[in-house]
Amino acid sequence: MSGVLARDAKEAGSRDRMVVAARPDPALPSHGGPDPNVAAAQLPRGDRTSAIEPGAPPPGGPRWRSSGAGGGAPEAAEDTGEAGRHGSHAAGPWRAGLRALAEGSPAAAVPLLREAVARGDGGGLAALNLGLALMQLGRLAEAVPALEDAARDLPDHAEPPFRLGNIAGLRGEAGRAEALFRAALLRDPQHVPALAALAALEEAAGRLDAAADGIARARAIDPDEPELDFAAARLAWRRDDLAGAIAAAEAVLARRPAHAGAARLLAELLLRREGPEAALAAVAARAVTDPAAAGWAFAAATLHAAAGRREAALAELHLAAALAPEEGEIQAALGCALADAGRGQEAEPLLRAAIPVRPTDLDLRNRLATVLWKQHRLAAMLEVLEEAIADFGPQPVLLMNQALALNAMGEQEAALTAVEAAVAHPAGGAPALMTRMAVLPYHPERGHAAALLAAGRAVAAALGPAAPPPPRPRDPGRRLRIGLLSGGLGQHPVGWLTLAGLEALPEAEFELAAYCLKPRQDPMAARFRARVALWRDAEHLDVATLAGLMMADGLDILLDLGGYGDGGRPGLLQRRPAPVQIKWVGMQNATMGLDGLDGMLTDRWETPPGFERFYTERLLHLPDGYVCYAPPPGAPPVAPLPALGRGHVTFGCFNNLAKVTPPVLRAWGRILAALPEARLVLRTHALGEAAMRQRLRARLTAHGLPEDRVALEGGVPHRALLDAYGGIDIALDPFPYAGGLTVCEALWMGVPVVALAGDSFCARHALSHLSNVGLPDWVAESEEAYVALAIARAGDLPALATLRAGLRARVAASPLTDAARFGRALAATLRDAWRRWCATATSL
Amino acid sequence: MLAETRSAPSALTARLADQARALLQESRAAEALPMLDRLGVLAPGPATTMLRAEALLRLGRLAEAEAAADVALTEEPEAPAPRRLRARIRLARGRHAAAAEDAAAAVMAAPGELAGRLLLAAALLEEGRHDEAIWFLGEAWRADPGNPMLQFRLGQAFLRAGRHAAAAELLAQCEATAPATPGLAALRAQAALLAGDAPEAERLARAALARGLVDGAVHGVLAHALVGAGRLAEAAPHFAAAARLAPGSDHLAPSSGGTAPSRAPDGYVTALFDGYAPHFEAALIGLGYRVPGLVRRAVERLLPAVAAGEARLGPVLDLGCGTGLVGVALSDLLGGPLTGIDLSRRMLEEAAAKGIYAGLRQAELTSALREDAGSHALITAADVFCYFGDLREVLALCRQRLAPGGLLLFSLERAAPGAGWRPGEAGRYAHAPDYLVACLLEAGLRMLECREEALRRDGEAVVPGLLVAADAAGP
Repeated sequence: MSGVLARDAKEAGSRDRMVVAARPDPALPSHGGPDPNVAAAQLPRGDRTSAIEPGAPPPGGPRWRSSGAGGGAPEAAEDTGEAGRHGSHAAGPWRAGLRALAEGSPAAAVPLLREAVARGDGGGLAALNLGLALMQLGRLAEAVPALEDAARDLPDHAEPPFRLGNIAGLRGEAGRAEALFRAALLRDPQHVPALAALAALEEAAGRLDAAADGIARARAIDPDEPELDFAAARLAWRRDDLAGAIAAAEAVLARRPAHAGAARLLAELLLRREGPEAALAAVAARAVTDPAAAGWAFAAATLHAAAGRREAALAELHLAAALAPEEGEIQAALGCALADAGRGQEAEPLLRAAIPVRPTDLDLRNRLATVLWKQHRLAAMLEVLEEAIADFGPQPVLLMNQALALNAMGEQEAALTAVEAAVAHPAGGAPALMTRMAVLPYHPERGHAAALLAAGRAVAAALGPAAPPPPRPRDPGRRLRIGLLSGGLGQHPVGWLTLAGLEALPEAEFELAAYCLKPRQDPMAARFRARVALWRDAEHLDVATLAGLMMADGLDILLDLGGYGDGGRPGLLQRRPAPVQIKWVGMQNATMGLDGLDGMLTDRWETPPGFERFYTERLLHLPDGYVCYAPPPGAPPVAPLPALGRGHVTFGCFNNLAKVTPPVLRAWGRILAALPEARLVLRTHALGEAAMRQRLRARLTAHGLPEDRVALEGGVPHRALLDAYGGIDIALDPFPYAGGLTVCEALWMGVPVVALAGDSFCARHALSHLSNVGLPDWVAESEEAYVALAIARAGDLPALATLRAGLRARVAASPLTDAARFGRALAATLRDAWRRWCATATSL
Repeated sequence: MLAETRSAPSALTARLADQARALLQESRAAEALPMLDRLGVLAPGPATTMLRAEALLRLGRLAEAEAAADVALTEEPEAPAPRRLRARIRLARGRHAAAAEDAAAAVMAAPGELAGRLLLAAALLEEGRHDEAIWFLGEAWRADPGNPMLQFRLGQAFLRAGRHAAAAELLAQCEATAPATPGLAALRAQAALLAGDAPEAERLARAALARGLVDGAVHGVLAHALVGAGRLAEAAPHFAAAARLAPGSDHLAPSSGGTAPSRAPDGYVTALFDGYAPHFEAALIGLGYRVPGLVRRAVERLLPAVAAGEARLGPVLDLGCGTGLVGVALSDLLGGPLTGIDLSRRMLEEAAAKGIYAGLRQAELTSALREDAGSHALITAADVFCYFGDLREVLALCRQRLAPGGLLLFSLERAAPGAGWRPGEAGRYAHAPDYLVACLLEAGLRMLECREEALRRDGEAVVPGLLVAADAAGP
């Protein structure tokens, strides 16, 4: 994962924080009360695998339990000939569909049942079973019309309204769900699942007595159902009957040793009654006497997670999953824990398997989307999210992630539309506004400096005013403790563009403390560790804890290296853990708009005079560029100009697709049209996915880019990426979000960059780097000039060859890589900012 | 139900065993362990026990690992694999002789297996039995001369044995074939340093860093090369980097507890050396100079409350402090002032640059002790009394300057019993143990410890010495 483009894709809007922001942390055991979505969906276990066969016992009967044994008795349907009564040619699709459903193959059942419905076979039962099959597959939106048909055609059957109630509950429509459950009970007062689901709604609404009554009624009908014991345990807990709750949870586990919900509940109950150590000991003791039961491992995982021991929790989940490979909730929990640990490849199959088993779990879909995001499989991610939106409705968290996916695919307009919908949603809140800040800078028309300022201010308004600065000794000359807040302390743009300068910062004057939001194990990460006096792994700390830790550590200056991006913590900045807070590299694409930020490191190219109006931060100008590039130690030598051998120019753009806007494609189309022999190579991780390549191909064609002259390449390891510049004559920078590290790397590999400068910070990255190495004449100020510049440069191969041959030496001799010079400038700038605080603030 | 689950699960236990093994292979011992614990209940047996011991070893739970390996060996006493496993565990625990026994038994049980012989060589090397280790490694290397791992190990063994030229040659060969071998760059630079070629050591270390290699040991060697050249200011960041990159370094600890260390540094160099002292001996070992590290170990042994962080050390008088290496070794234990005395102004300037010493005096030792009015919890004399012949006067003066319960720690070069004291090379003296005992008695000091130690390497030879701890006898 060392590729530049991995990084770029992350910059493009990855934002795990965003993905996670709008949901409770799902890896942790549940919290106080049940999630209304899930509660409403308390399906009887195994119901999902049962077909409702014709001639089955009355609704509400043994279906509940027999389903666990593997799907009812479709043979009974054949025996009774029930199907035959509903249609003269019922044999084919209707029977086969029923059988497929009973055998646990809902995907195979769907087309058969559709055909049966179309043929009018099976009466309303065909539609009902079609609805069930679709629900099992998580295709809730499609299930609704089938179930509505069934409700109409089977007026005495409780199942159709019950199932529709489930779906309504999943969509957060509690009132509608309740009405449907009551309708089901009118049809069949003995319908245990409807009684249980209604009780769950009562429970979610805080009507605990009514819920308990409902569960008691259901238990009277079906005394052997563990799910009812489980509901009773939950209710007892909520009514502070600890002993009753423990007894009920134990009763569930005695019948179902791998019941994840009961195991989790029992762990929480023991924790509350006995404290963490005794609870863990109690669970361990039961594991010894009952070693094959998965529940104890799951309970231990719950206790470890509650104590913040993620690794131990993961280990117990592995064990639980190995003991009970058939248990969907356990597999899902393991999948989520692995995803949390950054082990997406292991997580993906578990999550994919868990989704049909738990079709009602929105979080699982989101988790899978996040895993796919990290693997740069954007088309697959978008598919998951679009299905989820169809099933669960346009919930803000889904819309935000959809926006991030679309943006990373280069579909900035659709991305902005999605995120604006999240912003407009009543539950969107600050996370939606922050996600907008991750998307807006890429937008070809609306991503300009003034709009970014307004959008940043909207975040600030949502977060509320920043806290007052903490007290620190106001000695202007003393040694200062500088905090680095970042998920990029390693081989990441933040690393390549800050490390050399930080290493050169005199240790006698500045002590560094790192707050690492993403663990990394590469050599750049080790260099950070070698330079930093205090290292804090802060990935799992919430912003309040982290802010407290920073204050206790006594930070004088905090450098934010995350912005609204991957691992960013805007909320932390508003808590103001350090008296002086400064924005630097790391999604530094515009103002952040926050009053918690005092300054922003910049240079005269990024923010020339007059640009102050676009920033809420004080602009702290460094004398040269605002970054110092650390060239990779193992970079291959610069290759000769490829055009000399090929006879035509090859352009390249190794930026992520989020930056490739329609105007960029339009400009490239004009360049290739003017140079009929020229080629263009796009290379980025997202293009490793076939569906993404296909999608981009269509856009390229629409912009007049000939298919045979544009190569689409996926990401490669960093060294190979650098090698690939050997095949590029001229790099074409995107706009308005310009290349940052990508420009530096192209230059180091001897490839000059044609760029276009705009007015936002990120629209001027290339201008800054090119000016810093003495190549300002490679930057255009309009799309027209950009096209003309590229064509002109491509027409002078001798000049290109000369420039290329000396380019690395030029960069090496320039301020862009002069770490000592940069270190002195950074030291002076930080000291100035500190002195200003000492001078302006009132004395303590 | 219990009986059922216990009798049924052959498929279950096979699944657990497979998954545990797969996790171990992926270096996920922490995740394998609960499965192995459960397997130990469901299907106990030597295979499970071995896997469990392996997992515990990788998790650093060494005592439990050894206990598990003991069980595996009682189940299969003749098998070489559990022997080798226990040898590895014992090596990790520092039980080198016992490790050598296991490794030797494994070699006898399976003479053809390279793993056993390499383990035996490693154990012998740790025991200081260099020649035997070199014999085993050399034999393995001759059988497979292109194997860079064997070149590396043999080079390491030659280095430990003080045969620098042979070590340098092998390590250079190793670098030619496998430049990325972990630890190689540091070892090469160290070989140069030990051979007395500090500029070459610096060149090698700097080249490794420029290649993008990040290794605390490289920083450590570079720091020592620079100290040796008197460039202390340049050395300081590399000492700091070495400390920060050292395994188990405090500053790398995760902060889940949220407690902040109140380590706000008073002086910048203090902060740089902060955290380095505990690793000091390891860094100096093999670099030819062990005494500061030995002093620290003695303090840890004899003042357990200080070692545990329950008490602080001080005031301390460091006789012949030189560049302040003893100060560095003790820096994180200090509670009271540390005073250094040395004859050399240049040395004292270097010691001052470390920012650890509260006071530094340029003076001759005996006159300084006469003028000193202090009462010290600890007096150290590392590599100093070897410049004295007769020890009686200096020991008596030390006795007077010790606080009640105070400790005196010093090193001597060792002479044969009965030799009294005799002049050696370069103006130094060696002292016989029996003579030492007599001097201590006469000075009113009680010997607490007298350990035979190799003080440093002098070219090919190791200088034998004594590390002595004493306190005031009687009232």
